[in-house]
Amino acid sequence: MVDLSQYLPILLFLGIAVVLSTAFVFLPMGVSRLTGSHKPDAEKLSEYECGFPAFEDSRGRFDVRFYLVAISFIIFDLEASFLFPWAVSLEYTGWTGWGAMMVFLAILGLGLAYEWKKGALDWE
Amino acid sequence: MDLQSSLQVVLPEIILAVAGVAMLMIAAFVGDKASRLVSIVGVSVLTAVAIITAFQMTGDTLGREAFGGQIRADAFAGFAKILAIVAAIVTLVVSPAFFERVAKMRAEFPILIVFAVLGMSIMVSARDLISFYVGLELNSLAAYVMASFLRDDDRSTEAGVKYFVLGGLASGILLFGMSLLYGFSGGTSYEAVRLAGMDGGSIGYVFGLTFVLVGLAFKISAVPFHMWTPDVYEGAPTPTTGFFATAPKVAAVAVLARITVEAFGSQLTAWQPIVITAALLSILWGALGAIGQTNIKRLLAYSSINNIGFLLIGLATGTLAGVSAMLVYLAIYVAMVAGSFVAVMMLKDADGMPVEDIDAIKGLSKTRPMIALALMMLMFSLAGIPPLFGFWGKFVVFQAAVQADLIILAAIGIAASVIGAYYYIKIVKLMYFDEPADVITGKSETSYGVVLAICALVISPLGYLLTIPLGDWADRAAAALTAFV
Amino acid sequence: MIHTIAFYLFAAMVIASAMMVIFARNPVHSVMWLILSFFNAAGLMVLVGAEFIAMLLVIVYVGAVAVLFLFVVMMLDIDYAEMRAGFMRNMPLGLLIALILLAEIVLGIGAYRTGAIELGTPDGTGAAPLGASNIEAIGSLMFTRYVFLFEAAGIILLVAMIGAIVLTHLGSGPARGQQNVSRQNRRRPEEATRNVTPEIGKGIEL
Repeated sequence: MVDLSQYLPILLFLGIAVVLSTAFVFLPMGVSRLTGSHKPDAEKLSEYECGFPAFEDSRGRFDVRFYLVAISFIIFDLEASFLFPWAVSLEYTGWTGWGAMMVFLAILGLGLAYEWKKGALDWE
Repeated sequence: MDLQSSLQVVLPEIILAVAGVAMLMIAAFVGDKASRLVSIVGVSVLTAVAIITAFQMTGDTLGREAFGGQIRADAFAGFAKILAIVAAIVTLVVSPAFFERVAKMRAEFPILIVFAVLGMSIMVSARDLISFYVGLELNSLAAYVMASFLRDDDRSTEAGVKYFVLGGLASGILLFGMSLLYGFSGGTSYEAVRLAGMDGGSIGYVFGLTFVLVGLAFKISAVPFHMWTPDVYEGAPTPTTGFFATAPKVAAVAVLARITVEAFGSQLTAWQPIVITAALLSILWGALGAIGQTNIKRLLAYSSINNIGFLLIGLATGTLAGVSAMLVYLAIYVAMVAGSFVAVMMLKDADGMPVEDIDAIKGLSKTRPMIALALMMLMFSLAGIPPLFGFWGKFVVFQAAVQADLIILAAIGIAASVIGAYYYIKIVKLMYFDEPADVITGKSETSYGVVLAICALVISPLGYLLTIPLGDWADRAAAALTAFV
Repeated sequence: MIHTIAFYLFAAMVIASAMMVIFARNPVHSVMWLILSFFNAAGLMVLVGAEFIAMLLVIVYVGAVAVLFLFVVMMLDIDYAEMRAGFMRNMPLGLLIALILLAEIVLGIGAYRTGAIELGTPDGTGAAPLGASNIEAIGSLMFTRYVFLFEAAGIILLVAMIGAIVLTHLGSGPARGQQNVSRQNRRRPEEATRNVTPEIGKGIEL
């Protein structure tokens, strides 16, 4: 078995976070029920006075440009996650490892230049 | 591991990668105006890589391994690489004119082709499950984008999505099989997998083997994993379809041969029934499904399924002669299919828009006699009718099957090729014996004519001059698979 | 003890949130459940000692892939009712596949327990330095033995980038709403106005 004793504080933290967040969600609900202010009514949710019924679904469709941003984000996120093992293992990999990462960064750096030049990073 | 000698072995791959990135920079800084230039650069780079690969096959790097055996530049890899590169060059030559007509030529198309070829070249020289998978993914990812390259066209987008989803599924199945193989053999190299299979292999091993074969069957569109093929071939832009039917197929078939022989060589009884079943079903389904198709690209999709069946017959023997016959067939197949797709691209109406309806080619012999002649030769060759070179491919494959005592398989194959001949001959009948439909009136570029002429020349009876060098080459390639040594 | 509790906690949460991915009425909620499922899977990875994988799950899957899913879900115009109907129609097939997979798992584990399945022993080709931490071990292999595949992975990422631009980038239109302050300040009346003396009854050309 792996020694996980260092993770105990995190586990405790997680436990406390779960307990607290559950309490914050359900406590007000319970209190409102017990104190009697919980009286759901369809009219409470309907439009009134100068309001009017919604014309369409409130969830509008996203622009496809968000997708491009998200893809770029994933790619550079992955690049960053490759950097972690590289950084800590340089003593084993030496110059080969250093060169390998530089080539990798150059590939993605040129990719970034391509994106930039194509205007994929501009919103307008 | 000596890094320098490893880098020498993967020199073609390095050149492809550097060239791809350089082309990308041209595309970025000059824009789509440079698409012709980028295509020309792509063709020259691919030609250079093919020449280097050919030199590697004669030089002292032959059969040398790189990166601890993950990559091996042997005659087999060289054969597949050169074949795939030739197919990619054909696509590069014909694609600019096609996309310019709809004003959709972009410099990224040749770049994607170069990266796809890089993936294929990693894939066919891989001797490790990981490098095989990385190459395959690189190739597939570029292919998905190429399928939906005409992104404003509904059919093209649909083709891309279908290809992506089913390709992703296939990759998942493949990866699952690979992880099983790794778990039950303790290593990812083909050698480790082979050694683990020596003592019969456990159930898990056989499961892994089956999953890998299923995943690959998806990629080469062998029945029963072919359902994406007609839709994708129909919807994708024609140069892309022509590319799909040739280069990636060469690479995937080569990888299939390599993995079955080198990694599963000791498990012949486990994979041979699978390959035989897939071969028979592909031949039959490819022949029957083509009947009644009204779209030429769909018809060619079924034709390629049918051809995969014949290729698999060669592989099913599991012998050196069988693999060599398969490689011969593969080379002839590339010439036939590339020629057919170029001919299809030459069919244009008065506005220069591509025509894909099969009725449009009625009476083509009177309006466009040269295209009709070439198409007739290609169809007869695909049907395997004797004076043409396509016959030779079928002949060597059946010969190998008979030698390996798979006589029933060969007999069914021959019977089914007669069914297949029906629709090939139907096209010839439409072109030569029907009244002209007068749809195809558009002119086409000289480059198309040149490519078509070369393909027609290769598959013409003159092609028989090639039988000896081609056979030699294929023998050497097949002998390079270590398990035969 | 705590180890076991943590395992069951994470495992139960993975399964429960994975179920919720399927059963949530709203696809956006499905993605949220998926994120929770990734988090708990990361917890499981920590338990087996694969810390780097756990970190990757959080950084890449939770941080990036889930966001991409969210964008895609929000980009599509999904008719929830129709999707439900499809779910019910395909339910028998789905159950069948689930049963087959379950049977496979049970058979597999059963066979493994009785010793019928023998896992391979590592061939030692990819041995990592002894005593190094998880992440160091991965790094020391990835940048030496697997360096070629690492670069190939870089190319794959590059192709993904090209693909995203080819398929979704709409091209940069004319720039709008951009000011060049110094040019505006440099502008003189002579450049902007012009004096003309038009003849009577005739207009001027603008």
